[in-house]
Amino acid sequence: MVAAAAPARAADLEAGRRKSEPCKACHGADGNASIPGTPSIAGQPVYFTHWQLIKFRDGRRKDPQMTPFAVNLSDTDLADLAAFYAEQRPTARPAVTEPAKVDAGRELAKQHHCVSCHRPGLVGHEQIPRLAGQDLAYLVKLLRGFKAQTAGDLDGTMTTAAQPLSEADIENLAHYMASLPPVPPR
Amino acid sequence: MLRITLTLLVVAVTLVLAFGPLVQAQQPAAPPPWKQGQPASMADSMLAPIAQPPAPKAAGDIPVDKIKVPGGFKVSLWAHGINNAREMTWGEKGTLFVSSRTAGNVYAILDKGDSREVKVIAKGLNLPNGIAFKNGTLYIAEVSRITKMADIEDKLDNPPAMEVVYETLPKDLPHGWKHLAFGPDGKLYFNIGAPCNICMPPDTHANLSRVNPDGTGFEYVAHGVRNSVGFDWHPVTKRLYFTTHGRDWLGDDLPSDRFDVVTQKGQHFGFPFCHQGDILDPEFGKGKSCNDYVKPLLKTGPHVAGNGVEFYTGSMFPGDYKNRAFLAQRGSWNRSKKSGFRVMTVTLDSKGSVAKYEPFAEGWLQGEEIWGRPVYTRQMPDGSLLIADDYAGAIYRVSYQR
Repeated sequence: MVAAAAPARAADLEAGRRKSEPCKACHGADGNASIPGTPSIAGQPVYFTHWQLIKFRDGRRKDPQMTPFAVNLSDTDLADLAAFYAEQRPTARPAVTEPAKVDAGRELAKQHHCVSCHRPGLVGHEQIPRLAGQDLAYLVKLLRGFKAQTAGDLDGTMTTAAQPLSEADIENLAHYMASLPPVPPR
Repeated sequence: MLRITLTLLVVAVTLVLAFGPLVQAQQPAAPPPWKQGQPASMADSMLAPIAQPPAPKAAGDIPVDKIKVPGGFKVSLWAHGINNAREMTWGEKGTLFVSSRTAGNVYAILDKGDSREVKVIAKGLNLPNGIAFKNGTLYIAEVSRITKMADIEDKLDNPPAMEVVYETLPKDLPHGWKHLAFGPDGKLYFNIGAPCNICMPPDTHANLSRVNPDGTGFEYVAHGVRNSVGFDWHPVTKRLYFTTHGRDWLGDDLPSDRFDVVTQKGQHFGFPFCHQGDILDPEFGKGKSCNDYVKPLLKTGPHVAGNGVEFYTGSMFPGDYKNRAFLAQRGSWNRSKKSGFRVMTVTLDSKGSVAKYEPFAEGWLQGEEIWGRPVYTRQMPDGSLLIADDYAGAIYRVSYQR
């Protein structure tokens, strides 16, 4: 568990591309995943991906697939990977959303103040992820995790926000978020 | 008849008590904690907390020469590459322990003369902002527990398991991170912040508390404290002085953050009813009077985010720095023109009143751009002063040449 802190340096996009080789199987060559339940990380804010990798490495966020990959990454690896994925262009996931659920989700998103942190269009910024156009099954899985207080929140905001959500709310919110165009954050 | 009426009343009250929360749950969901209390007139505001970078800055990206200090003082970059560096405390064998908040790490820094060696001694912790050291043992405060590592300085490369001292603290994450320090009475002091920007906190929150180092004897020291993540004891009077972050969304210039002194155990400092000693809260202040709460010793400025408090006891700095308090102000987010991002000093007169409040180190804010955030100070054994910057992941050393 003991490690000397690595010297800080600017992230290296090309190194990130090379280091992303093992990630491709699940997240796609350019961070656009196609496996249901696996998030697309293309075009996510660089702070967001970097913080998530830190949390996976330190065990604050746990996942049977991700954890083994993350535990051996160096500080430099995390910075390079986050920078590489932030530069990739997000594409839409296959349309599986149901219009009635999308409509209900749109209202719920207003009621639950999602845009306060995730910004209009739910495009994300800084340490806050883009939800627009994300994989439906992944959104459901993560919201359930926040509700169950097991999703490994950075500062508690999402765990708190998810507490009043019913299972139907989670489903509807996920349909709405998945239906939005995956515009990268400005 | 009377009995039936009473019974009905009891039933009615019971129903209200039992179903009150259910009714509440159907009301609109609360906004995220930082957004709570935002009036409709500010609904379009783009102000939001400043994101913590996930990695420290490289030495070459830290413009130390921009930090301005009074004449005769000199600033150097003492250590860097310490992600999210926050509180600092000295071991007995010369190790500087450094905490973090969102990074979840605790570091040990060894001074190698011209350079510093940084070791991570704990990671994956829950906002481990508070650290304190006594009798060979490092104490760590996370959100809901205090733990310790005995004989840590002999085991930096193989740290012992964290042993629980006290673990029945609230689990709320908003304002859940703690300052931790030993008082002159040998007890461990810490804050339990309000779990919100503005709300009626549970009785267990918005206070300063203390517990014996063995985990017994928990008690509240002060109430009505929104969130204090910095306090210290005056070297002569041994009184407890603390900073408090004021609430957000009352505008650019209200309320002021505060610097206070506890003169009696159990005093109430006003939250959530009264802010800065003279403004009633628009919602929770109804029917209250600011005269019922302790007034601030000093209004430190709106949104400046006063964190570290440290009284100077060294001999390197000029004589009039003795017993001055250094206040590290991490800087605002809820203000259209940024404030704070500096280290101030407070000079108290012989009666304990504030004689002077003046800047000591500034320059992390350039125009409206920030490159660092000073968050805590720690005196070095030679009397120089370390300043931790959690944004740049760096520690600066301020020295004085006579």
